[in-house]
Amino acid sequence: MPEPVIASVGASPLGRTDLPGRDLFSVALAEAFDGLPDPADLVEAVYVGNQSESYEHQIMHGTLLAEWAGLRYVPAERVEGCAAAGALALRHAVKDVRNGEHEAVLACGVEKMTSAGTSGATDALSAAFDRAIEQRSGVTAPSQYALLAQRYLHETDATERDLAEIAVKNHANAARNPRAQFPEEIDVATVLESDPVAPPLKLFDCAPVGDGAAAVLVTTAELAADLDRPQVRVAGSGASANNIAVAERDMTDIAGARIAAETAYEEANIDATAVDIAEVHDAFTVCEALLAEAVGFAPPGTGYQSHRAPAERADGWTDVQLSPSGGLKARGHPIGATGILQALEAYEQLTGAAGDRAVEGAETALLLNEGGVADAVTVGHVLTTAEAR
Amino acid sequence: MTDNLDATDPRTLPGFFDALADGTLLGGVCTDCEQVLLPPRPACYACGSRAVDVEPQAREGQVFSYTAVHTPPPGFAADAPYTIAVVELADGGRLLGRVAADYADVAIGDSVELTVRELTAAEREVALDYEVDWPVHVFEPR
Repeated sequence: MPEPVIASVGASPLGRTDLPGRDLFSVALAEAFDGLPDPADLVEAVYVGNQSESYEHQIMHGTLLAEWAGLRYVPAERVEGCAAAGALALRHAVKDVRNGEHEAVLACGVEKMTSAGTSGATDALSAAFDRAIEQRSGVTAPSQYALLAQRYLHETDATERDLAEIAVKNHANAARNPRAQFPEEIDVATVLESDPVAPPLKLFDCAPVGDGAAAVLVTTAELAADLDRPQVRVAGSGASANNIAVAERDMTDIAGARIAAETAYEEANIDATAVDIAEVHDAFTVCEALLAEAVGFAPPGTGYQSHRAPAERADGWTDVQLSPSGGLKARGHPIGATGILQALEAYEQLTGAAGDRAVEGAETALLLNEGGVADAVTVGHVLTTAEAR
Repeated sequence: MTDNLDATDPRTLPGFFDALADGTLLGGVCTDCEQVLLPPRPACYACGSRAVDVEPQAREGQVFSYTAVHTPPPGFAADAPYTIAVVELADGGRLLGRVAADYADVAIGDSVELTVRELTAAEREVALDYEVDWPVHVFEPR
């Protein structure tokens, strides 16, 4: 079975931009193909992660972006799974290469979230929740995660201050990431004193709305070597859907995330202790705490210590470093592109291209991308250096 | 497989909301594993069984988690901030809904009771054609 690798990555600027989605994609693609043959000479299929047509009144992103890349008559499709769309696109590309169907597949993601203001983004994101009960009760993405946070604070020793510390840590990481939407350090008081969005979550507990596109080229190891590209192995991939309604799930044991991660670990023949860095879906600070527990980094009830140095965490924690990019919180969260941005961060970390934010000795990364609230859908990938076999 | 479903069947949304409009909260109950499904549906998510009975559910329950929406979707703006909660009902099912109380006056474990009302004019405006006559449930503190 061919082994899929990531052979190149690229991204657009993140945040409030003056470019529509297709143009953001063109910027990301240009970076990914810098020094490579043109996409038309390499790419055999395209998958595009994209959340919502409401931002630009545009679907058919497979067709559109393939065309803008100069590709004609290739299979190309949009993949939808709210904020997990990017990792779902990556997973499709990985499977195509694994099963021998294609040698080079473009996995990308794009979202133009700033087109209709905060209210437009709030409305578009609410479509990810159950229409019959949840949407008609007026839920929003922050309020859905606030229900998890309230429960987490009730069941564990964690405090709002602990959640604030996660935001502070991720902003500090983003301050060393030239791609970050918010490359500024903040302090705990800034988080705790920010406006309530959905208590206990405040503005600085929440990932921002922003535009962005990202692209990764998934190829066989042989093709990446022929192209003389640094390569990162995609050693494992797992995905899992759980109930759409948050009320019908366990709200602090994020089972779908555990299953997606464990599937990816099994394929990679590792366990959680082997993971050096993780880009998890910290759309809200509480997510990093919950996911650290779900994927096996932290004993139950201690995930909120993710902001601490490894030696200062509870017994049973691994030495993993979480969200070295700054995470969704501070690197940015252009919904459909986020799963691809996570892969981009791991590629740069594992190929020695992460500059000031490089995590020393990192050889194995876990990516965890969620859609809907929490584990409505989760995609996990294990990436490793070419040497770590 | 399940016998033919039509819009009078409470395992469909029109059937569920018709009963709710009359004040009856119907749940699916899996005859294999006893999981309660709100609203009822053709298959049990817990065990996969399609042997799902439909039974009236207790309207009383306790707050399992709660928050307040300060940044509402368009259509709910006039109500913000408003409180929402996940409520564990006495018969075992869990249901999300609005709470008719200020956030500061709610706590985990509070007793609440499900009530039903018609859509407001603002809610009607953002409703789909087939949703206009579907009621909304609201939890009242007890």
